[in-house]
Amino acid sequence: MTDGMLELIRTRRVIRAMSDRPIPLQDLEKILEAGRWAPAGGNQRVVRFAAVRDPKTLEVLRQVSPGMLQRPAAVIVLCLDHEAIRANEISERDPVLFVDIGTTMQTMLLAAHALGIGSGPVTSFAHEAVRVVLNLPRDLTPELMVCFGYAEKGARQPLIRGGGAPRVTWQDLTHWERYPQSLQS
Amino acid sequence: MPESPGVLTEDEAVELFAYLLTSARTQLDEPPDYASMRLLTAAESLRDRIAGRVSPEVAAMLEATVAPSSFAQEHVNDFEAYARSLDELCAILARNLVARAELEGQADD
Repeated sequence: MTDGMLELIRTRRVIRAMSDRPIPLQDLEKILEAGRWAPAGGNQRVVRFAAVRDPKTLEVLRQVSPGMLQRPAAVIVLCLDHEAIRANEISERDPVLFVDIGTTMQTMLLAAHALGIGSGPVTSFAHEAVRVVLNLPRDLTPELMVCFGYAEKGARQPLIRGGGAPRVTWQDLTHWERYPQSLQS
Repeated sequence: MPESPGVLTEDEAVELFAYLLTSARTQLDEPPDYASMRLLTAAESLRDRIAGRVSPEVAAMLEATVAPSSFAQEHVNDFEAYARSLDELCAILARNLVARAELEGQADD
């Protein structure tokens, strides 16, 4: 991994205030292609992308998504394809399905950041309403939305948990090798 | 009380209605304390839309009840402070409502 890639990972932030500047179609296609290259459990591709650029559709999507604080120039709805899940004999309760949603999301967030485009995931939306708005086939369930747009100046600062506490470091999150026996309950 | 002017367009009313109804559903899957944030967001959204169209008295009430910018941080980091801040806003609101309704006597501070 190059330092440039590490820098992209370090500097990406969730953007909650976006300008109305449109995103070039070619850039959205690059983000979609990046999503295609995301790691997938068993390389069984069960995530589908519903990409939306139409302003009116975006506005209605926003109206049924209480967690969508930004006004994005584009949204990619990550859906699970239950026909593919059945065809691959994957349990509907297999957590790998949501791991796949997560890896796809993160890959898209980083691709957008590499292109200078802001992004932010949204999980708080009325699923059945989104199904209706997008005319989703019955076998597709919307699981997560990724909003894209150029960051507006003066965007709201990220929420920092812990007040003035120092940022969490990777060391805070990591334990090397086996945990001590004393931590066994 | 003077006749109330219309202060929301139909589109604005529909947007707020959709936000509240869909929040009722999404809240079932979210942490209970998110409900307060969602309602506050709805209140702020309503204020933003009507602020320039209301009477001077209501405009003053809206101005007096603007949530501090620290609200979101308080919500996740100091829930008691968040509750106190909301209590203060509610008290300010109540005093304004009492005055607006021209109730007899003074509102308690």
